[in-house]
Amino acid sequence: MKPQLQFFIGKGGVGKSTTSAITSVHLSRNFHNILLVSMDPAHNQRDIFQQDFGEKPQRVANHLVVKEVDVDYWIEKYLKETEKAIKRTYSYESAFNLQNYFNVLQFSPGLEEYALLLAFENIIHTFDDKDIIIFDMAPTALTLRFFSLPFITLIWLEELLKLREKIYAKKEIISEIKIGRKTIQQDKIKAKLEILIQQYEHLGDHFKSDAAKINLVMNNDKLSFSEAFRIKKKLNDIGIDIESVLVNKSNSKAVPDEVRDEFNNQKITPFPFSSKNLIGFKAINDYIDENNEIFLY
Amino acid sequence: MVPIVKTVKDKIVSAFQVADEVMRSKAVETIEYEVGELDNIFAILVLGAFIGIPSPPIHITMALLPEMENELEIMLEKVSTAHDPLGDLFSVLDID
Repeated sequence: MKPQLQFFIGKGGVGKSTTSAITSVHLSRNFHNILLVSMDPAHNQRDIFQQDFGEKPQRVANHLVVKEVDVDYWIEKYLKETEKAIKRTYSYESAFNLQNYFNVLQFSPGLEEYALLLAFENIIHTFDDKDIIIFDMAPTALTLRFFSLPFITLIWLEELLKLREKIYAKKEIISEIKIGRKTIQQDKIKAKLEILIQQYEHLGDHFKSDAAKINLVMNNDKLSFSEAFRIKKKLNDIGIDIESVLVNKSNSKAVPDEVRDEFNNQKITPFPFSSKNLIGFKAINDYIDENNEIFLY
Repeated sequence: MVPIVKTVKDKIVSAFQVADEVMRSKAVETIEYEVGELDNIFAILVLGAFIGIPSPPIHITMALLPEMENELEIMLEKVSTAHDPLGDLFSVLDID
Protein backbone atom coordinates (compact mmCIF):
# COMPACT_ATOMS: atom_id res chain seq x y z
CA MET A 1 0.00 0.00 0.00
CA LYS A 2 1.19 3.49 -0.80
CA PRO A 3 2.03 5.65 2.23
CA GLN A 4 -0.28 8.42 3.27
CA LEU A 5 1.25 11.86 2.63
CA GLN A 6 0.58 14.53 5.24
CA PHE A 7 1.64 18.11 4.54
CA PHE A 8 1.84 20.74 7.29
CA ILE A 9 1.54 24.16 5.70
CA GLY A 10 0.91 27.71 6.91
CA LYS A 11 2.26 31.16 7.61
CA GLY A 12 5.84 31.48 8.90
CA GLY A 13 6.12 31.03 12.68
CA VAL A 14 2.65 29.53 13.34
CA GLY A 15 4.12 26.20 14.47
CA LYS A 16 4.19 23.93 11.42
CA SER A 17 7.36 22.23 12.65
CA THR A 18 6.07 21.79 16.21
CA THR A 19 2.64 20.45 15.20
CA SER A 20 4.17 18.13 12.59
CA ALA A 21 6.70 16.86 15.15
CA ILE A 22 3.93 16.29 17.75
CA THR A 23 1.75 14.49 15.17
CA SER A 24 4.69 12.34 14.03
CA VAL A 25 5.57 11.27 17.58
CA HIS A 26 1.91 10.58 18.40
CA LEU A 27 1.43 8.41 15.28
CA SER A 28 4.70 6.54 15.88
CA ARG A 29 3.57 5.79 19.46
CA ASN A 30 0.58 4.07 17.84
CA PHE A 31 2.94 1.78 15.89
CA HIS A 32 2.65 3.52 12.54
CA ASN A 33 5.94 3.67 10.62
CA ILE A 34 6.55 7.36 10.17
CA LEU A 35 9.01 9.38 8.10
CA LEU A 36 9.05 13.06 9.06
CA VAL A 37 10.59 15.20 6.30
CA SER A 38 11.68 18.77 6.86
CA MET A 39 11.11 20.60 3.56
CA ASP A 40 11.65 24.02 5.14
CA PRO A 41 15.13 25.38 4.38
CA ALA A 42 15.14 26.78 7.95
CA HIS A 43 15.07 23.16 9.23
CA ASN A 44 13.52 23.58 12.69
CA GLN A 45 13.19 19.83 13.32
CA ARG A 46 16.84 19.62 14.41
CA ASP A 47 16.11 22.26 17.10
CA ILE A 48 12.91 20.54 18.22
CA PHE A 49 14.44 17.05 18.52
CA GLN A 50 17.87 18.39 19.55
CA GLN A 51 19.48 16.13 16.95
CA ASP A 52 21.31 16.75 13.69
CA PHE A 53 19.47 15.57 10.60
CA GLY A 54 20.43 15.38 6.94
CA GLU A 55 19.49 13.75 3.66
CA LYS A 56 19.90 10.30 5.29
CA PRO A 57 16.97 9.61 7.66
CA GLN A 58 17.89 9.44 11.36
CA ARG A 59 16.03 7.33 13.87
CA VAL A 60 14.31 9.33 16.62
CA ALA A 61 12.03 6.67 18.12
CA ASN A 62 11.05 3.08 17.40
CA HIS A 63 8.74 3.88 14.52
CA LEU A 64 9.93 7.37 13.68
CA VAL A 65 12.76 8.54 11.40
CA VAL A 66 13.44 12.14 10.44
CA LYS A 67 15.08 13.53 7.32
CA GLU A 68 15.96 17.03 6.16
CA VAL A 69 15.82 17.93 2.49
CA ASP A 70 19.04 19.64 1.47
CA VAL A 71 17.89 21.97 -1.33
CA ASP A 72 21.47 22.84 -2.36
CA TYR A 73 22.28 19.15 -2.79
CA TRP A 74 19.28 18.65 -5.10
CA ILE A 75 20.04 21.77 -7.15
CA GLU A 76 23.66 20.68 -7.60
CA LYS A 77 22.62 17.12 -8.54
CA TYR A 78 20.07 18.39 -11.05
CA LEU A 79 22.51 20.84 -12.67
CA LYS A 80 25.21 18.18 -12.98
CA GLU A 81 22.81 15.75 -14.68
CA THR A 82 21.54 18.46 -17.04
CA GLU A 83 25.08 19.54 -17.92
CA LYS A 84 25.97 15.93 -18.72
CA ALA A 85 22.90 15.55 -20.97
CA ILE A 86 23.70 18.76 -22.84
CA LYS A 87 27.36 17.79 -23.29
CA ARG A 88 26.24 14.47 -24.81
CA THR A 89 24.40 16.36 -27.57
CA TYR A 90 26.58 19.38 -28.14
CA SER A 91 30.20 18.55 -28.79
CA TYR A 92 30.90 22.25 -29.21
CA GLU A 93 29.74 23.08 -25.69
CA SER A 94 32.66 25.44 -25.23
CA ALA A 95 30.91 27.78 -27.70
CA PHE A 96 28.07 27.99 -25.19
CA ASN A 97 30.45 28.78 -22.37
CA LEU A 98 28.43 26.11 -20.59
CA GLN A 99 30.31 25.94 -17.30
CA ASN A 100 29.94 29.65 -16.66
CA TYR A 101 26.26 29.46 -17.53
CA PHE A 102 25.68 26.62 -15.06
CA ASN A 103 27.52 28.49 -12.32
CA VAL A 104 24.94 31.27 -12.68
CA LEU A 105 22.00 28.93 -13.25
CA GLN A 106 22.05 27.70 -9.65
CA PHE A 107 20.72 31.13 -8.65
CA SER A 108 17.85 31.06 -11.17
CA PRO A 109 14.40 31.89 -9.86
CA GLY A 110 12.22 28.80 -9.61
CA LEU A 111 15.05 26.39 -9.02
CA GLU A 112 14.44 26.11 -5.26
CA GLU A 113 10.87 24.80 -5.64
CA TYR A 114 11.99 22.56 -8.49
CA ALA A 115 14.67 21.09 -6.22
CA LEU A 116 11.98 20.48 -3.57
CA LEU A 117 9.85 18.74 -6.18
CA LEU A 118 12.78 16.50 -7.18
CA ALA A 119 13.37 15.66 -3.51
CA PHE A 120 9.64 14.97 -3.03
CA GLU A 121 9.59 12.62 -6.04
CA ASN A 122 12.64 10.80 -4.70
CA ILE A 123 11.12 10.47 -1.20
CA ILE A 124 7.82 8.96 -2.35
CA HIS A 125 9.67 6.42 -4.47
CA THR A 126 12.34 5.56 -1.89
CA PHE A 127 10.19 5.36 1.23
CA ASP A 128 7.11 3.55 -0.05
CA ASP A 129 7.48 1.08 2.86
CA LYS A 130 6.39 3.76 5.37
CA ASP A 131 2.80 4.02 6.59
CA ILE A 132 2.78 7.79 6.69
CA ILE A 133 5.20 10.40 5.36
CA ILE A 134 4.82 13.76 7.08
CA PHE A 135 6.14 16.85 5.31
CA ASP A 136 6.99 19.88 7.41
CA MET A 137 6.72 22.50 4.67
CA ALA A 138 8.36 25.88 4.14
CA PRO A 139 6.37 29.09 4.77
CA THR A 140 3.51 30.02 2.43
CA ALA A 141 5.23 31.56 -0.59
CA LEU A 142 7.64 28.70 -1.27
CA THR A 143 5.03 26.05 -0.43
CA LEU A 144 2.46 27.50 -2.83
CA ARG A 145 5.09 27.65 -5.58
CA PHE A 146 5.99 24.03 -4.79
CA PHE A 147 2.38 22.81 -5.05
CA SER A 148 1.62 24.79 -8.20
CA LEU A 149 4.84 23.92 -10.04
CA PRO A 150 3.56 20.67 -11.67
CA PHE A 151 0.40 22.43 -12.87
CA ILE A 152 2.20 25.52 -14.23
CA THR A 153 4.74 23.24 -15.91
CA LEU A 154 1.89 21.27 -17.52
CA ILE A 155 0.35 24.45 -18.99
CA TRP A 156 3.67 25.30 -20.68
CA LEU A 157 4.31 21.73 -21.82
CA GLU A 158 0.86 21.35 -23.37
CA GLU A 159 1.21 24.64 -25.30
CA LEU A 160 4.69 23.69 -26.51
CA LEU A 161 3.37 20.27 -27.56
CA LYS A 162 0.58 21.89 -29.61
CA LEU A 163 3.16 23.96 -31.49
CA ARG A 164 5.37 20.90 -31.95
CA GLU A 165 2.47 18.88 -33.37
CA LYS A 166 1.77 21.68 -35.86
CA ILE A 167 5.42 21.61 -36.98
CA TYR A 168 5.35 17.81 -37.25
CA ALA A 169 2.16 17.81 -39.34
CA LYS A 170 3.68 20.31 -41.79
CA LYS A 171 6.87 18.27 -42.04
CA GLU A 172 4.71 15.25 -42.92
CA ILE A 173 3.05 17.23 -45.76
CA ILE A 174 6.48 18.23 -47.10
CA SER A 175 7.68 14.65 -46.98
CA GLU A 176 4.52 13.40 -48.72
CA ILE A 177 4.82 15.89 -51.57
CA LYS A 178 8.58 15.56 -51.99
CA ILE A 179 9.00 11.80 -51.84
CA GLY A 180 5.45 10.56 -52.10
CA ARG A 181 5.10 9.16 -48.57
CA LYS A 182 5.21 10.22 -44.93
CA THR A 183 8.73 9.19 -43.98
CA ILE A 184 10.10 11.64 -41.51
CA GLN A 185 12.20 10.93 -38.48
CA GLN A 186 10.40 10.77 -35.16
CA ASP A 187 10.37 14.23 -33.59
CA LYS A 188 12.62 13.88 -30.53
CA ILE A 189 11.32 17.09 -28.98
CA LYS A 190 7.70 15.98 -29.36
CA ALA A 191 8.56 12.62 -27.76
CA LYS A 192 10.37 14.37 -24.89
CA LEU A 193 7.42 16.73 -24.34
CA GLU A 194 5.04 13.76 -24.16
CA ILE A 195 7.26 12.03 -21.56
CA LEU A 196 7.49 15.24 -19.50
CA ILE A 197 3.71 15.70 -19.60
CA GLN A 198 3.23 12.17 -18.26
CA GLN A 199 5.77 12.79 -15.48
CA TYR A 200 4.18 16.07 -14.34
CA GLU A 201 0.63 14.71 -14.53
CA HIS A 202 1.77 11.87 -12.28
CA LEU A 203 3.40 14.32 -9.84
CA GLY A 204 0.33 16.58 -9.77
CA ASP A 205 -1.87 13.52 -9.12
CA HIS A 206 0.06 12.89 -5.88
CA PHE A 207 -1.13 16.23 -4.49
CA LYS A 208 -4.72 15.58 -5.50
CA SER A 209 -4.92 11.92 -4.51
CA ASP A 210 -6.84 10.62 -1.50
CA ALA A 211 -3.49 9.65 0.06
CA ALA A 212 -2.47 13.32 0.32
CA LYS A 213 -3.74 15.20 3.38
CA ILE A 214 -3.07 18.91 3.70
CA ASN A 215 -3.04 20.22 7.27
CA LEU A 216 -3.26 23.99 7.42
CA VAL A 217 -1.67 25.36 10.60
CA MET A 218 -2.62 28.77 12.00
CA ASN A 219 -2.58 30.75 15.23
CA ASN A 220 -5.54 32.37 16.88
CA ASP A 221 -4.95 35.85 15.39
CA LYS A 222 -6.27 37.92 12.50
CA LEU A 223 -3.08 37.97 10.40
CA SER A 224 -2.80 34.22 10.65
CA PHE A 225 -6.48 33.77 9.64
CA SER A 226 -6.16 36.08 6.61
CA GLU A 227 -3.13 34.24 5.29
CA ALA A 228 -4.76 30.86 5.92
CA PHE A 229 -7.84 31.94 3.94
CA ARG A 230 -5.61 33.03 1.05
CA ILE A 231 -3.70 29.73 1.13
CA LYS A 232 -6.99 27.83 0.97
CA LYS A 233 -8.13 29.87 -2.05
CA LYS A 234 -4.79 29.52 -3.88
CA LEU A 235 -4.75 25.76 -3.36
CA ASN A 236 -8.39 25.42 -4.41
CA ASP A 237 -7.51 27.28 -7.63
CA ILE A 238 -5.18 24.44 -8.57
CA GLY A 239 -7.60 21.75 -7.40
CA ILE A 240 -5.99 20.90 -4.05
CA ASP A 241 -8.24 20.68 -0.97
CA ILE A 242 -7.36 21.32 2.67
CA GLU A 243 -8.01 18.21 4.77
CA SER A 244 -7.80 19.73 8.24
CA VAL A 245 -7.03 22.91 10.14
CA LEU A 246 -4.87 23.08 13.25
CA VAL A 247 -5.25 26.16 15.45
CA ASN A 248 -1.92 26.15 17.25
CA LYS A 249 -1.08 27.86 20.58
CA SER A 250 -4.78 27.94 21.32
CA ASN A 251 -5.87 29.19 24.76
CA SER A 252 -9.30 27.65 24.58
CA LYS A 253 -10.92 24.68 22.96
CA ALA A 254 -13.39 26.94 21.21
CA VAL A 255 -12.72 27.51 17.51
CA PRO A 256 -13.03 31.15 16.34
CA ASP A 257 -16.27 31.73 14.37
CA GLU A 258 -14.55 33.10 11.25
CA VAL A 259 -12.36 29.98 11.06
CA ARG A 260 -15.36 27.70 11.49
CA ASP A 261 -17.27 29.61 8.79
CA GLU A 262 -14.39 29.47 6.29
CA PHE A 263 -13.46 25.85 6.96
CA ASN A 264 -16.89 24.28 7.42
CA ASN A 265 -15.87 21.16 5.46
CA GLN A 266 -12.60 20.58 7.29
CA LYS A 267 -11.71 19.07 10.65
CA ILE A 268 -10.59 21.86 12.98
CA THR A 269 -8.32 20.92 15.87
CA PRO A 270 -7.14 23.38 18.52
CA PHE A 271 -3.59 22.59 19.67
CA PRO A 272 -3.43 23.99 23.26
CA PHE A 273 -0.75 26.51 24.15
CA SER A 274 2.11 25.01 26.14
CA SER A 275 3.78 27.13 28.79
CA LYS A 276 6.84 24.87 28.54
CA ASN A 277 9.29 24.95 25.65
CA LEU A 278 8.47 22.05 23.32
CA ILE A 279 12.08 21.07 22.78
CA GLY A 280 13.34 17.51 22.94
CA PHE A 281 11.64 14.15 22.51
CA LYS A 282 10.55 14.00 26.17
CA ALA A 283 8.86 17.42 26.09
CA ILE A 284 6.88 16.38 23.01
CA ASN A 285 5.85 13.11 24.65
CA ASP A 286 4.75 14.99 27.79
CA TYR A 287 2.68 17.37 25.64
CA ILE A 288 0.97 14.42 23.95
CA ASP A 289 0.22 12.81 27.34
CA GLU A 290 -1.26 16.07 28.66
CA ASN A 291 -3.32 16.79 25.54
CA ASN A 292 -4.27 13.36 24.31
CA GLU A 293 -7.81 14.48 23.46
CA ILE A 294 -6.61 16.46 20.41
CA PHE A 295 -5.77 13.21 18.66
CA LEU A 296 -9.18 11.69 19.11
CA TYR A 297 -10.23 12.81 15.63
CA MET B 1 14.61 -2.01 -78.75
CA VAL B 2 17.10 -0.10 -80.92
CA PRO B 3 19.82 1.27 -78.57
CA ILE B 4 19.36 4.85 -79.71
CA VAL B 5 15.62 4.74 -79.07
CA LYS B 6 16.23 3.35 -75.57
CA THR B 7 18.75 6.12 -74.83
CA VAL B 8 16.33 8.79 -75.99
CA LYS B 9 13.54 7.21 -73.92
CA ASP B 10 15.78 7.08 -70.81
CA LYS B 11 16.73 10.73 -71.27
CA ILE B 12 13.09 11.77 -71.59
CA VAL B 13 12.17 9.75 -68.46
CA SER B 14 15.10 11.26 -66.59
CA ALA B 15 14.12 14.76 -67.72
CA PHE B 16 10.58 14.18 -66.46
CA GLN B 17 11.94 12.85 -63.14
CA VAL B 18 14.08 15.95 -62.69
CA ALA B 19 11.14 18.16 -63.64
CA ASP B 20 8.96 16.26 -61.14
CA GLU B 21 11.53 16.74 -58.37
CA VAL B 22 11.90 20.44 -59.17
CA MET B 23 8.15 20.97 -59.20
CA ARG B 24 7.71 19.07 -55.94
CA SER B 25 10.46 21.13 -54.29
CA LYS B 26 8.90 24.35 -55.61
CA ALA B 27 5.51 23.24 -54.30
CA VAL B 28 6.78 22.88 -50.73
CA GLU B 29 9.17 25.84 -50.64
CA THR B 30 6.67 28.09 -48.91
CA ILE B 31 5.58 25.46 -46.42
CA GLU B 32 9.23 24.63 -45.68
CA TYR B 33 9.83 28.29 -44.98
CA GLU B 34 6.82 28.26 -42.65
CA VAL B 35 8.18 25.18 -40.83
CA GLY B 36 11.52 26.96 -40.44
CA GLU B 37 9.70 29.95 -38.95
CA LEU B 38 7.70 27.70 -36.58
CA ASP B 39 10.90 25.93 -35.49
CA ASN B 40 12.43 29.33 -34.87
CA ILE B 41 9.39 30.45 -32.83
CA PHE B 42 9.59 27.22 -30.82
CA ALA B 43 13.30 27.78 -30.12
CA ILE B 44 12.71 31.40 -29.13
CA LEU B 45 9.86 30.34 -26.82
CA VAL B 46 11.89 27.66 -25.08
CA LEU B 47 15.09 29.67 -24.90
CA GLY B 48 13.39 32.97 -24.14
CA ALA B 49 15.25 33.30 -20.85
CA PHE B 50 18.47 33.76 -22.82
CA ILE B 51 17.13 36.74 -24.76
CA GLY B 52 14.86 38.33 -22.17
CA ILE B 53 11.34 37.34 -23.23
CA PRO B 54 8.78 35.49 -21.07
CA SER B 55 9.86 31.90 -20.99
CA PRO B 56 8.86 28.55 -19.50
CA PRO B 57 10.21 27.52 -16.10
CA ILE B 58 13.95 26.92 -16.41
CA HIS B 59 13.59 23.14 -15.86
CA ILE B 60 11.51 22.85 -19.07
CA THR B 61 14.21 24.67 -21.05
CA MET B 62 16.89 22.48 -19.55
CA ALA B 63 14.92 19.28 -20.25
CA LEU B 64 14.40 20.17 -23.92
CA LEU B 65 17.78 21.75 -24.67
CA PRO B 66 19.61 18.44 -25.34
CA GLU B 67 17.05 17.67 -28.12
CA MET B 68 17.16 21.10 -29.72
CA GLU B 69 20.34 21.14 -31.77
CA ASN B 70 18.46 21.59 -35.06
CA GLU B 71 16.23 24.37 -33.68
CA LEU B 72 19.27 26.20 -32.32
CA GLU B 73 20.91 26.06 -35.75
CA ILE B 74 17.75 27.47 -37.36
CA MET B 75 17.58 30.20 -34.76
CA LEU B 76 21.21 31.17 -35.38
CA GLU B 77 20.63 31.15 -39.15
CA LYS B 78 17.61 33.40 -38.70
CA VAL B 79 19.76 35.83 -36.77
CA SER B 80 21.87 36.37 -39.92
CA THR B 81 18.80 37.38 -41.95
CA ALA B 82 17.03 39.17 -39.13
CA HIS B 83 18.14 42.58 -40.41
CA ASP B 84 16.21 41.98 -43.67
CA PRO B 85 13.12 39.87 -42.93
CA LEU B 86 11.19 41.13 -45.99
CA GLY B 87 14.06 40.23 -48.32
CA ASP B 88 14.10 36.77 -46.79
CA LEU B 89 10.37 36.37 -47.35
CA PHE B 90 10.46 37.78 -50.91
CA SER B 91 13.18 35.34 -51.93
CA VAL B 92 10.94 32.44 -50.85
CA LEU B 93 7.96 33.87 -52.72
CA ASP B 94 10.06 34.56 -55.85
CA ILE B 95 9.39 38.28 -55.86
CA ASP B 96 12.09 40.35 -57.56
